[in-house]
Amino acid sequence: MSSKLKFRLALVLCCVMMMSIFAGCGGEKSDVDDQSIQASGEVIKLGFLGALTGSVANYGIPGKKGMEMAIEEINANGGILRHQVEGVYDDNKGDNSEISAIARKYITRDKVVAMVGDPCTGLTQVAGKIAQENEVVILSAGATSPGVVEIGDYVFRNTLLDKFAAPAVVDWMINDKGWTDFAVITCMDLGYSTGLTPVFEEAIEANGGNIVLEDSINQGETDFTAQVTKLKNAGADVLVFTGYYTEAALIMNEVQKQNFDMVLVGGDGLYGPDLAALGQSAVEEKVIFYCGFSSDQPSDETAAFLEAYRAKYNEEPDMFSAQYYDAVYILKKVMEDANSVDPKVFKNELAKLTDYPGVSGNTTIGPDREPIKSPVCLITIKDGQFAILEKIPVNVE
Amino acid sequence: MFIEQLVNGLTLGSTYALIALGYTMVYGIIQLINFAHGEIYMFGAFAGLLLVSVFGLNIFVALIGAMVFCMFLGMLIERIAYRPIRGKSSRLSALISAIGVSIFLSTLMALIRGTNTTRYPEIMKIHTYHLGSLDLSSLQIIILVVSALLMVGLQLLIQKTRIGKAMRACSQDLEAASLMGINANRVISYTFAIGSALAAAGGVMVGVYYNAVWPYMGTMAGLKAFAAAVLGGIGSIPGAMIGGLTLGVLEILGVAYLSSSYKDAIAFGILILVLILRPQGIMGKKITKKV
Repeated sequence: MSSKLKFRLALVLCCVMMMSIFAGCGGEKSDVDDQSIQASGEVIKLGFLGALTGSVANYGIPGKKGMEMAIEEINANGGILRHQVEGVYDDNKGDNSEISAIARKYITRDKVVAMVGDPCTGLTQVAGKIAQENEVVILSAGATSPGVVEIGDYVFRNTLLDKFAAPAVVDWMINDKGWTDFAVITCMDLGYSTGLTPVFEEAIEANGGNIVLEDSINQGETDFTAQVTKLKNAGADVLVFTGYYTEAALIMNEVQKQNFDMVLVGGDGLYGPDLAALGQSAVEEKVIFYCGFSSDQPSDETAAFLEAYRAKYNEEPDMFSAQYYDAVYILKKVMEDANSVDPKVFKNELAKLTDYPGVSGNTTIGPDREPIKSPVCLITIKDGQFAILEKIPVNVE
Repeated sequence: MFIEQLVNGLTLGSTYALIALGYTMVYGIIQLINFAHGEIYMFGAFAGLLLVSVFGLNIFVALIGAMVFCMFLGMLIERIAYRPIRGKSSRLSALISAIGVSIFLSTLMALIRGTNTTRYPEIMKIHTYHLGSLDLSSLQIIILVVSALLMVGLQLLIQKTRIGKAMRACSQDLEAASLMGINANRVISYTFAIGSALAAAGGVMVGVYYNAVWPYMGTMAGLKAFAAAVLGGIGSIPGAMIGGLTLGVLEILGVAYLSSSYKDAIAFGILILVLILRPQGIMGKKITKKV
């Protein structure tokens, strides 16, 4: 029996490999090489990293829309340094081996000058190493955990960082809400979650809070009865959950089923429309998360973006559409500042970006090449919609 | 808290048991591990969802509807994917065919519905009953009762009816049973129908209980149920029930008192241990082969 099981696994793995080979054949061929791009006003390409199907497609699909919109606008206004811009969009399905194949394909076949994405930290790390080796800029619009820009000087991100945002949120929970006893649940097979949990825990301890329960789940599970029963008996004021929206909604469903009151606080991994759809009444005003973008209370720059996005796609933009949109414009700005579309040159301008007023907040690339964005929006769910609860400042020493 | 966790485990275990029954029944008769069984469970969950949300049916009517739908689905799969190669080629071909059907069904559903997780609408008010320190939800009671009824019903069907007698005969010796005038193809077809209906019931109840349905839900549930069937003794119907419940309880207690990271490790660790220590499972009969 076990050999049959092994056999099945082997077969599944074979299929996955086959699929990644076919995925690699998807894009159109590019015969243009680096030199000719720079010599004439040829098209420059930007590679999209993100999932269009699978469990994290909720981040990739809006991201792609934001990126497409930015590229369209830029091309309508004369392109970047008179080059027209072309986006290449392959679906990495949120899978480590897929993204590795796609990043290599973007670099070697499409000859992209930069890649935008991925929204997930673990996947960005995979693509980041490939980008660094091949000297192509990668600008992640979403990777928030540590260990991204450390890969090398071609790896950047434009996103609200957990190490700045989570302490601000913990400060708000303890000092504004008066919550002192925390339960922390981590999604063990998720790089984002295992990276975020220590950030929260350090901030809780630094602010004098107690952690009364530490527990874990695995992604893709649906049975959280045991964890929630433990949570019920732990006597926590609030639950900090560092995973994604699907599991958050299922945990809150179980909390509602076990009939007790608990607020779940988490990071922007909870920002997906499925949170409200899956959680319904169980998440209503019971889930709070931070993120760098909210379509409520827009600034002037944001308002124009919101209007254009709604007109084009007939839906509300989210943080990922805003950050991908910003990422493309940031690349445009630094290429123009550097007067070059060569990643070896414009990466230096990107490292010096200061106070760029994007639609997802003001971005500065700090001395450690990490982005600093302020303020943080606290989002909750009201009547099945995301609604802003508060904007809290980020203090960076 | 221990009793609560025990109830959580029994609830999870009874859904494993319902799926495991299908594995064990099919294995008992044609010695095929029907790896597409998890996907039938997934289709059952989606059929129930369709009946509840689009047609607005009562959940119990939807449960029966999903069971009927999967009955035909199971029979259809058997007719298309297994019968044409049965007896003509090795059992390995049937296994590969099963894997093919499994991949086909889950990707088909992913094409139809997308890969996002969806939930059942809020179909009933969930009551919580307090029995001393134990909180029991009405959903848990419904799942336990419905699973118990289905399992008792299955036992009656197998032990008391003509078709049940035919199934038992076929499981002892398919060839001899056909020589005695039993239409083996029909019995196999019915076996798939019954097993699939039970899986569909499990799918609908899991959908309602955990509020999560997605196209790949069948893969892990199928593997767990397979582990449960082996634990109980593959081919043995009471074994599948006991195996499912045991696995559910052990998993939940593992999460409650060890760590959630061990959840899948517990299920498959048990599978490995059983295969090493007692290959015939808890209820299985030891087969001595004469050389």
